[in-house]
Amino acid sequence: MGKDLVQLRNIHKSYSGVEVLHGVDLDLGSGEVLALLGENGAGKSTLVKILAGDIPPTSGTISIDGTELARLDVYQARQLGIRMIFQELNDAPTLTVAENIFLGQWPGSGGMVAWSEMEKKAKEILDRLQVNIPVDAIAGSLRVGERQLLEIARALTQNAKVLVLDEPTAALSSVEVDRLFTVMDQLKSQGVGMIYITHRLDEVARVADRVQVLRDGDSVLTVKNSEIDRTALVTAMLGKEAEKNARPSAVKTSKPALKLNGLTSRNDYSNVSLTVNEGEVVCLFGKIGSGTAEILESIFSLRPVTGGSIEIFGENFTPKSPAASAEFGIGYLPADRQRLGSFGIRSVAENLAVTCWKKMSTLGFVSQLKEVQAFERWAAALRISSRSGSTQEIATLSGGNQQKVLLARWFEANVRVLLLVEPTRGVDVGARRDIYEIIRSQAKESNMAVLVATSDYEEVVLLADRALVMARGKIVSELTGDSVDAKTLVSASS
Amino acid sequence: MIKKTSDTATGDTEQSKGFSIPQTAPLIIFLLAMVIFFSVTSEYFLDIENFKNILVALAVTGIVCVPGTFLMIAGHVDLSVGSAAAVSGMLLAQTVNDRGIAVGLAACLVFGLVLGVINGFFVTIVGVNSLITTLGGLATLYGVALLAGNGQTVMMFGFEWLGTAQPFSIPLPILIFAGLAVIGIITLRRTSYGRSLYAIGANPNAARVVGIRSNRILFITFVLSSVSAALAGAVLASQLSAGDPNAAKGLELEVVTAIVLGGASLAGGRGTLLGTVLGLIVIQVLNNGLILLDIPSFWQRIAQGILLIAAVSFDQIRQKIVSQKG
Repeated sequence: MGKDLVQLRNIHKSYSGVEVLHGVDLDLGSGEVLALLGENGAGKSTLVKILAGDIPPTSGTISIDGTELARLDVYQARQLGIRMIFQELNDAPTLTVAENIFLGQWPGSGGMVAWSEMEKKAKEILDRLQVNIPVDAIAGSLRVGERQLLEIARALTQNAKVLVLDEPTAALSSVEVDRLFTVMDQLKSQGVGMIYITHRLDEVARVADRVQVLRDGDSVLTVKNSEIDRTALVTAMLGKEAEKNARPSAVKTSKPALKLNGLTSRNDYSNVSLTVNEGEVVCLFGKIGSGTAEILESIFSLRPVTGGSIEIFGENFTPKSPAASAEFGIGYLPADRQRLGSFGIRSVAENLAVTCWKKMSTLGFVSQLKEVQAFERWAAALRISSRSGSTQEIATLSGGNQQKVLLARWFEANVRVLLLVEPTRGVDVGARRDIYEIIRSQAKESNMAVLVATSDYEEVVLLADRALVMARGKIVSELTGDSVDAKTLVSASS
Repeated sequence: MIKKTSDTATGDTEQSKGFSIPQTAPLIIFLLAMVIFFSVTSEYFLDIENFKNILVALAVTGIVCVPGTFLMIAGHVDLSVGSAAAVSGMLLAQTVNDRGIAVGLAACLVFGLVLGVINGFFVTIVGVNSLITTLGGLATLYGVALLAGNGQTVMMFGFEWLGTAQPFSIPLPILIFAGLAVIGIITLRRTSYGRSLYAIGANPNAARVVGIRSNRILFITFVLSSVSAALAGAVLASQLSAGDPNAAKGLELEVVTAIVLGGASLAGGRGTLLGTVLGLIVIQVLNNGLILLDIPSFWQRIAQGILLIAAVSFDQIRQKIVSQKG
């Protein structure tokens, strides 16, 4: 395992006078997996963008295969076999699987695409990944996890030597994650060097040969797999002694707020009965596709119900439209923040007040003073940092701060039942704890019932008063108190 | 970090956003340059009567631009307004002659409502793209307008005041437009309906998930758009004392150009009515100046087409710069 594939030395990078990387070194050997850890803003993305030729370093040297390069641009990086796989999908959803795998480089001659050859080759690659997807399926009809694997398949067609994977598992189910790791093991044996960026500490021990931790633009820790110590990693990332994954103290309430009686949606989940009490946080834990998120969608009228009933504070509730659900005192936070959650080009104040315009109006006129005051109140309470205050466009905030605004929009609306789907997806570790604390304290303070759908067991341990584990559309077990732990959750859900 | 209270609280976020310097500065500079150029080249340009002419010419388009801006902010467009105004004018001319002014105006209103409901139905309930729905409307209604008068102009008698009266020596169409513009500005900034239009345009999916009744709001806006086109058609017919099937030809082009010039994003989510008014002024000053310089009227069309493309290019370039920043 030579250390000669990639060598970054003393990389500095400044944006308009502000230095974001302060002389970072990075080594990667062929057939090696290097996990790159760090909170958002630690400099991980900047570092790998420099490696991909996306942005030039302010100073420092880059050597690939032992040759020092004066400069590296995107084209050159591709020539050298450096490939990036991003968390967001970069596919063409209306084209077929085969077309997507060879996107832009379809086999053929004279401008004609050789379809049979392309589909044959695509099938070979998918077989190598042990992925069972028909090559003539339309990419947009696949699940997110499957589409992610197509991205990897595409990188494989292009003779990758260095593969950078930027949080590839964020949207994958655990089966798909296992499959990805198997694929990575194979690539390793073929001598491909990989840089694996992740937030999930448990994945690190499974895939990485070495771990490098960045914090505030400095490389603060580099250790071999055998020396990985969870506490040390978290400490290095956060820069302070990280708290243990202590279970929150349980809320003792008994007044039912949300009750599902044998709720069923054909093909998604069946016969789900559960109760969430006032002030209680209940997590529905299961893999993606197990029915957790789908139940929440049904309660908010985004997915049809085919059987059973919903009771809210003793009243029978029939989902009609999202607007009607919101008027009934239900709030909903979707997993896909950009597509379904935020109004990217509008201000943070508007993004927060969007649920409350009626409440903030007198004689039909919305008070912008109230809008701004509401934002400032929540910004202080939830520690939302927004450089230019209430007028800043929400898309320019970090993931964690955006998520806090989207949560505050329902807190401000005084909802009685709050539904959260994957509430910390794309949120860095430090902000995650913040968000758990916010959800728990708001639930308690305003006697709100919170139902969370998540595929992240760490989240369940840190957030839930009670956990319900789902598999294949059914609730398979209920865990309370200290029995909520990672091992139990994972084994119950598979 | 978030200690600014009084200044941001009283500051109008919408105004500071949509009407910010980088967006409208080039337009104002262009306008000033035109004013200076036409003042130098034509002795008639700098004249109060000429300014009145400019404003009257602007008013008819402006009436349609108010809901037009609402639609553009919500990410939609209504191209049927030109033909709708033509049909409304024909309808008015024929009913006023036979049954009087009140019935004539009522007929125009009913026509506007019905057309708006049809457009709203296809866009929000059937789910047809608004560009296509209203492009179809544009073609169909032009045919209806021609059919109504057998392709001829229909003279109208005894109803000039709507288009030509001058209370307080201000032409009535200008007062109508100014009134609608003020109501429109307040609606966009201060009502939950207006705020929802921005949200729908910025992210239609999120708008639904956050509990905004998007379809209802869009439906209402399409009705407003058609009713405003019917009103504009009536004003135009009154000015001409006739229903002319070709009188409002190209109105939709002028409306879209003014809105886009004014900084509304074609993608939705951004735009202000003040910007649209500025866009209207630019277009009419250009038209007026070309007329005063005795340049053949064909050139007006050419200039307007170029202006539209320039405005859209500017919007695209601005979006690129914004996305690079982010």
